[in-house]
Amino acid sequence: MTAIGMRHPMLDGLAKAAGGQLYAGDLAIEGLAEAVLVTSPHSHARILSVEDSAALADPAVLGVFWHANMPSHRYNSSVWFEGQEADADEAMFPETARHIGDRVAVAVASSRAAAERAAARLVVRYDPLPARLTPDEADRARGPLFDAVGAPTFLNPVDERRFARGDVEAGFAAAAHVSETTVATPKTHHCAIEPHVALALPEPDGRIRVLAPCQSVHAVQVVVARALGLKAADIHVVKTPIGGSFGGKAEPVLEPIAAELARRLGRPVRLACDRRQTFSSTRMRSATATRIRIALAADGRILARDTETLIDIGAYVTGGNWLPGSMLQRHVRLYDIPAERYYGRAVYTNTPPTGAFRGYGSPQINAAGEISLDIAAVRAGLDPLAVRLANALRPGAIEPYGGLDVGNARLRDCLILGAERFRWTARRAAPGGQGRWRSGVGMAAAAHVNGCFPGSDESTTMTMRLLPDGAIEMISALHDLGCGSNTTLAQIAAEVLGLAPAELRIVEADTDLCGYDLGTRASRMTYVQGEATRKTALALARAVREAGARVLNTAPEDLVLASGRLARRDGGEPLDLPTLARHLTRAGLPLPAATETHAATANPSSHAAHFAEVRVDTLTGLVRVTDYLAVHDIGRAINPMLVEGQIHGGIQIGIGMALCEDVANDPETGRMAGDSFARYILPNSLDMPPIDVHLVEAGEPTGPFGAKAVGEIATIPVAAAVVNAVNHALGTELSHLPLVPARVLDALDPDAGAAASSGTA
Amino acid sequence: MDIHVNLNGVAERIAADPAQRLSSALRAHGLTGLKEGCLEGECGACSVLLDGEPVCSCLMLAAQAEGRRIETVEGLARGSGPSDLQRAFVEEGAVQCGYCTPGMIVAAEGLLRRNPAPTEAEVRRAIAGNICRCTGYASIIRAIARTASERGAGETS
Repeated sequence: MTAIGMRHPMLDGLAKAAGGQLYAGDLAIEGLAEAVLVTSPHSHARILSVEDSAALADPAVLGVFWHANMPSHRYNSSVWFEGQEADADEAMFPETARHIGDRVAVAVASSRAAAERAAARLVVRYDPLPARLTPDEADRARGPLFDAVGAPTFLNPVDERRFARGDVEAGFAAAAHVSETTVATPKTHHCAIEPHVALALPEPDGRIRVLAPCQSVHAVQVVVARALGLKAADIHVVKTPIGGSFGGKAEPVLEPIAAELARRLGRPVRLACDRRQTFSSTRMRSATATRIRIALAADGRILARDTETLIDIGAYVTGGNWLPGSMLQRHVRLYDIPAERYYGRAVYTNTPPTGAFRGYGSPQINAAGEISLDIAAVRAGLDPLAVRLANALRPGAIEPYGGLDVGNARLRDCLILGAERFRWTARRAAPGGQGRWRSGVGMAAAAHVNGCFPGSDESTTMTMRLLPDGAIEMISALHDLGCGSNTTLAQIAAEVLGLAPAELRIVEADTDLCGYDLGTRASRMTYVQGEATRKTALALARAVREAGARVLNTAPEDLVLASGRLARRDGGEPLDLPTLARHLTRAGLPLPAATETHAATANPSSHAAHFAEVRVDTLTGLVRVTDYLAVHDIGRAINPMLVEGQIHGGIQIGIGMALCEDVANDPETGRMAGDSFARYILPNSLDMPPIDVHLVEAGEPTGPFGAKAVGEIATIPVAAAVVNAVNHALGTELSHLPLVPARVLDALDPDAGAAASSGTA
Repeated sequence: MDIHVNLNGVAERIAADPAQRLSSALRAHGLTGLKEGCLEGECGACSVLLDGEPVCSCLMLAAQAEGRRIETVEGLARGSGPSDLQRAFVEEGAVQCGYCTPGMIVAAEGLLRRNPAPTEAEVRRAIAGNICRCTGYASIIRAIARTASERGAGETS
């Protein structure tokens, strides 16, 4: 192995470090107009009129658009492909704003400053309506989602999912310990440093070209087409370098509007959100409240589990109807539980809509499951690690959700290795102090999927070819979200082709160039695209050897591709790829090329065990994570440096979810407390603990060179590990995330907390 | 109006409106390495060196830079290639999506010039105003520490 397992620097790293990488906001295009959104200050209000005469008085202003003069086709922004049916409740500009931050109007001008001035000069008249701001309140407004004429009613539930296996009542009857806990997780935001942006240009052939940092060009194509009432073929989408996504740019929020403005004005238009709009007008992680009852046997075996979760998906469906199912899928992939009951439902509220965010429901259900299990173990006097070991899913298990083989799933290895390296038993038993500062340790386990099989078409097509200059080009629906997936795939190709990864010429996703694909989501890049890369590289290697054999007048099997050239087994002079290409082009012979389609036929589990140490200041309620250890069942690390980068970044987002991140919509007014980096607190360099990463590389037979996913699972067990450590430090049962100081202080002294809050009211 | 600055070592005239932020004027001047991530001085993506000190260029009017020395991430390159710090960021895995990277590198360069041998705590403090959402900071801290130690070794040898 030369390329696999290499800590190869990211291929586009130097361009980024030198400031030369051009993101959508950096592009200078002749005649580019700039567009600025006006968003709703109300949680629920009819938009009666938009008075634009003051704005239009400025000759730099090109137009003002809102529901009265924009297409009103209803669409769902979470559609992935042409023909997919979905609850279509969104419009580019709704007649009724359904959340603070909903899109009301857009001002377009020849410069950003002029567009901002124009947006500020618009006078919008609203008719405020009663709003449903909490999921409990919303859950009581029940009815069909669409009325007789097909208009959305915004009644609930948006979706519900029930699941049962085994004899749950018998499990509870036989239990030595029964424990019930309710865990609440907050709405959190991706906080990619690149604010949301989209660019669109009219093309000479009448199509519209959309340039956007996106996770799937095909999803953008179909959503834009539906919103504009056009055919997908009318829309040409090109992915731009992306300044962070984490799922936040999975749904086209701005693209339809930018495309319509470019079509209408006949010139390029860029629509960019500022930070506040990126918080309130895009997508975020859904909030959940989950009640879990666990039946434990005296030896720690889980005999039965009963889970009921209520998911606040916000103002529009987007992909929220999938959450009850996807949360169930991951909930039952972790432990071998003989009797299980689950009821999940997703409800609309008049708060910002939610969508994909690193794990798609997994961090929420994992926090619920793993905090509940920890509390159950402590109540029963059992070691939380021992309880997990007693129930961990084993390799080759059939998971109960889809009846799929979980593959070479190494959860037990993660638990055992992590406990040993963290010195779990000794540290768990160590006294945490009785004074102002208390310390404690906690842990959590996680399971996640690798792609969308069998729910969606998990196939992808790749083309590789030798170019006339001897370079090898790689074309597929590639969407590197900044994690380095292009580098990972180049390493896979390089390994097969005997090249250096930097020698691959990578063409990112462009609907004119690449085959249809689901995009970068669901932890599918390395596992699905990686295997497509391996297969295509194998086919290209064959084609290169055959072409070389013709030039060298030998047999293909006598040639070996290594170090960028064809070596001869008979010891003759090797042929490098530029020379081969020159020979072929001069002779008029075809350059070697290969196209392969890989369809995944499995969906193995990735696993992780995380261990955290915290220090709590009982005077202020502030929690610090002081040490952290993560073990990941990765199959095989194609690039350990990038894998570690994913794990470290995932832990950062998870610590935020555990301790401080919350957009905090006020339940009375809907106002969002956390709509800026000043008020939405996220971990910075001072908040991050030292992190020790260990990889279990036992190989997944269906993955490329044995590899499995790491991107999403890195953040899944973090919140539970941290919260469990806090509960260990304080002897509490905190389960309402995030553990902001007020909640910690309340738990330490409920009477003082109640007095303090009534005092400030 | 025009402002006159020493920009990455060269005397330049930059066009700016009286109310324009320095970040916006520099980006309009073609220096798009720095980013405007929040426009309130919280994310640090717009960091530049002003007379050698890291500042959030979004919190300054362009006019306030009149007569001063500005260095952006583009100006940190050595000759035709990236600087040792830029290279260390890439090699240590401190660059992921890259959007915070220019500001982060500028903040780190500012630190290393005033404190060539920082402790880990000093490095963490120096970049506390630069938010990175991808890396968890460990690789960034490693890249800065490595550059400090390489520069130190270069001076003593």
